[in-house]
Amino acid sequence: MPEDLAEIYRSTYRSLVRFLYRKVWDAERAEDLAQEAFARALVHKPENARGWLFVVAANMARDEARKAARERRHLTLLKSEPDATHTEPEDQIDTETRREQVRTALDQLTPRDREALLLWDAGMSYDEIATQTGLARGAIGTTLSRARRRLVEAYDSGSEGGGQHVARG
Amino acid sequence: MSHVDDGALHAYLDGEVSPVERTQLEAHVAECGACRTRLDEARALIARAGGLLGLAQPPERTMPPLHQLRRPRLTWRLRVPLAWAASVVLALGLGYYLGGESPEQPAPLAAAHQEDAMRSVAEADRLAPATPPPAAAKARAPERRSANQVAARNDAPPPVDSAAARVGVDSTRIAAGVVAIRPNDALREAPPAPVPSAAIVTSRAQADLSEERGRLMATQWQIIRPGPARDLLGADPVGIPGLAVRNIRRSPTGDVVLVEQAVDSATVIQLFQQRMENDRFSLRREASEAARAAAPSAVSRLGAAGAERLARFVGGLRVEIAGPLSTDSLNRLLEQVKPIKP
Repeated sequence: MPEDLAEIYRSTYRSLVRFLYRKVWDAERAEDLAQEAFARALVHKPENARGWLFVVAANMARDEARKAARERRHLTLLKSEPDATHTEPEDQIDTETRREQVRTALDQLTPRDREALLLWDAGMSYDEIATQTGLARGAIGTTLSRARRRLVEAYDSGSEGGGQHVARG
Repeated sequence: MSHVDDGALHAYLDGEVSPVERTQLEAHVAECGACRTRLDEARALIARAGGLLGLAQPPERTMPPLHQLRRPRLTWRLRVPLAWAASVVLALGLGYYLGGESPEQPAPLAAAHQEDAMRSVAEADRLAPATPPPAAAKARAPERRSANQVAARNDAPPPVDSAAARVGVDSTRIAAGVVAIRPNDALREAPPAPVPSAAIVTSRAQADLSEERGRLMATQWQIIRPGPARDLLGADPVGIPGLAVRNIRRSPTGDVVLVEQAVDSATVIQLFQQRMENDRFSLRREASEAARAAAPSAVSRLGAAGAERLARFVGGLRVEIAGPLSTDSLNRLLEQVKPIKP
């Protein structure tokens, strides 16, 4: 079991962080939650560790969002977290702006569409997404197609004709 | 075969159709221009959506080894409210015994009471992982306090070993340059001071107790200017950029500098900072032994009563943070500390 978990850790940790990041929008918090999910998995030794981890992580992210809302007053000042990147300030602002636009666009998806999309992007299979979300396996393709279309539409409408046009399905 | 719907096209492009479905779909698309166009559009849409999600990536950082992941946070989340509850007990106890001290009460007994108040906090703290709600700790307080009068004479052995066992070094945080430590580590790692009098040991012990008790005493530390603080630390004291510095203080022992900063008008955080020596491990042992020899009871109670405080190393300084915020918030603040330039 621990060997299995070690392998899952290697293959899934970054995906889990990415998945969590798009829920809590804080890289360190996402890492923290991912590590905690794995630490819990070490204790609980779940049967289907990968699926279990994403369920636990999603629950923690939800709790986290509630807690963050309560603490927002204190954390407002933390928004300008310094990041050790080599980008020029303007590039950084640009990256930040686009990231915010993606976040806003994701927020416009229905929770189910968003969850399916984030799970797919985190490397889950259709079967795993179906188990995770309770959707029928046959509905995942449709859900993902809708989620992708809405994400792109929401992003494009939010970026005020930012010049990126790609064929849409 | 009828036209292929979007769901099937996406499933096909995602590699999530069965071989039979794949063959059928490919056969249809080969003959149907409309579906071929839609397939191209779906492919572009998938690429575009993936690209957008790629704009919202966390920075890639080193994975801590699996075996170093800290235990689930659930237990130490419970410790925070418990630590607060314990601090209420301590405040009540200290207030009662110090404030209400009457002339006819012999001083040694009062001191024993105070130590027992600390011991009750230590016990509440030790019980923290066993998931009693904070209310339980509060409910236990009157009972413990009344028991103090008896316990003061019973002279129960101080829990020395548990203090050593409970040094909460968090390996995950080590990887990130941040460790969760017990505040009494500050005492253990402090360079051995000249053998202090009993009174100094007491004040030092109190100053280095848990976050809350530390605040009680540390707010009385002498206020100093940045220059002397720099001299004490051998480097600029650190603080959180953008926050007003309320005060800079020095500990009675002169080896710890405290920077108080206001998060808002009602919230002040404390940054305890201390110069780190290269041979800090040997110093720590020496300090621990010297302190034990000088005041065994004070040290052991310290160890047992210590609550978690976050610390990290910034340049040559070890910095601990305390304040009425959640552990996560303190952690994030701590990660931002930078030298305060005069």
